[in-house]
Amino acid sequence: MNSLCLSGLRKRIYQGLRVLRAAALATYKEWAAYRSQMAVSIFVGPVYFLTQLFIWRAVFSTRAVVNGFTLEEMVTYYGISMLIGYLTFDSADWDLQMLVRTGGFITFRLRPVSYCFYAFCQKVGHRILAFWVELFPVYLIFFFLFKIKLIPVQPGWALLSIALSFILVFLTNFSIGATAFWLTKTEGVRRAILALRDLCAGTFFPLILFPRGLQKILFYLPFQFITYAPIRVFIGHYELAGVSLPIPEVVGLQFLAVLVMYGVYRTLWHFGIRRFTGVGA
Amino acid sequence: MRAGGNNLRIYLAGVKAALAARMAYRGDFFLSMLFMLLVEMGAPLITILIYRTGASFPGWNIYEALLVQGVFLLAKGIAFPFFFGIVWNTIERVQSGNLDLLLIKPKSTMFMAIVTAFDAEELGKLCGGVALFTLAVTRIPPPGLLEWAQFLALFIVTLAALFGYAVILAGLGIVWVGNFRVYDIFASITTFGMYPAVIFSKTLQTVITLIIPIAILGSVPASALLGRASPGTLGAVVLSIIFLLLSVGFWHRMLRKYTSAGG
Repeated sequence: MNSLCLSGLRKRIYQGLRVLRAAALATYKEWAAYRSQMAVSIFVGPVYFLTQLFIWRAVFSTRAVVNGFTLEEMVTYYGISMLIGYLTFDSADWDLQMLVRTGGFITFRLRPVSYCFYAFCQKVGHRILAFWVELFPVYLIFFFLFKIKLIPVQPGWALLSIALSFILVFLTNFSIGATAFWLTKTEGVRRAILALRDLCAGTFFPLILFPRGLQKILFYLPFQFITYAPIRVFIGHYELAGVSLPIPEVVGLQFLAVLVMYGVYRTLWHFGIRRFTGVGA
Repeated sequence: MRAGGNNLRIYLAGVKAALAARMAYRGDFFLSMLFMLLVEMGAPLITILIYRTGASFPGWNIYEALLVQGVFLLAKGIAFPFFFGIVWNTIERVQSGNLDLLLIKPKSTMFMAIVTAFDAEELGKLCGGVALFTLAVTRIPPPGLLEWAQFLALFIVTLAALFGYAVILAGLGIVWVGNFRVYDIFASITTFGMYPAVIFSKTLQTVITLIIPIAILGSVPASALLGRASPGTLGAVVLSIIFLLLSVGFWHRMLRKYTSAGG
């Protein structure tokens, strides 16, 4: 009985990996045709970074430390934030709402693969392409032009944290996309949640710049695990709202946030899919 | 005179049609507009948080710094709903082949690309710009009549520069098919315009004032309102006008390169 279960599980994993490979490869090839769009980041990323460099240099010209951050740490924060952004970006929210709105989602209901898994595979392929078209060149620019050495203090934990962030961003975006089952056109909701997500995740600036009271609220929200926590894991020490945590604990909490977000996605999907009706397509 | 009135009528018809289409999803529209406003408040929020920690941009108090961002946001708030839509409209039409429909209209293609691109959601930026600008202006020493006159003249040049950017990006969209990331290019380079120019190095200040019209988008008009117009102001104005003329030339050049893909 046990060996039967084990063999069934092995078969499912093997099948999942085959789907992952096929969908990721197809997405990679599809987007490679538009690689010049992605390559825009080679210009845009360093220009944004240069602005931040000047802003913070001006700010730090009058003092050595701002809310516990030195100039070097602040600059490193923005550099890592940008690189993590390239690794974890996805458009699962937009894709899903567009499919629901246009009715194209019907075809996915007929396929023997869960749409969520398929979308995740697409993200994997898309981000593999982004790794060498966006991340690698920008990393070299940071390294040689800005002389910033973005090397994680504990590479293993940093990789794990970024991987969890990758999944967390996907689940968050997918859940946002799932609101289309109720709202059909979700531009406003998407914009709202994404703006709040980025603000609470520390994408625009370190969360430690917020007033202490707000930091305490942000500490208990899952969004910090999208950008802020992975950056702090990368740097090697974590602090928010006056709480310092060892890196393994931060990654553990991040894993917990992924589980919570998975629960949110499953709940939204369970109720949302019952509302979907489509004709033709 | 009659042609101007006719153009205005056509433009208003475009606005009316765009508004009617967007109102099909009213709740989403208002939510989208509100959060468009909040997203644009990112830079002012950073400024507020910086000053809250006790740090500052040397030589600028918080409201002077916010004034620069208020002017920038106000200019974007006028440009984006009313004419900057030419960018996405052109890119979308080239991609789908629908630009042909504008080419056969008995009006200038550029004008028609603007008329059919009114973006109501972007009005959120205008609300944010008005709010931030008002907040900053009421907290700085009251500017005199001369400062207001200088500011208004420079603000018109700011809008002209933004029009130039819009036309260049739209022109790029004709040959760089389907690439909406031209918006990212615009957003990244104009970030320099959201902060007082003095925080940048001398070389960069020269570049953003006299080579690429970026300082004119915020720092230059705000400085005039604060009574701190710099010697580079005239240069920035001349550059913006040249930039506008070149951008229109660029658009026509790109339009000549357009080869229809059907529709």
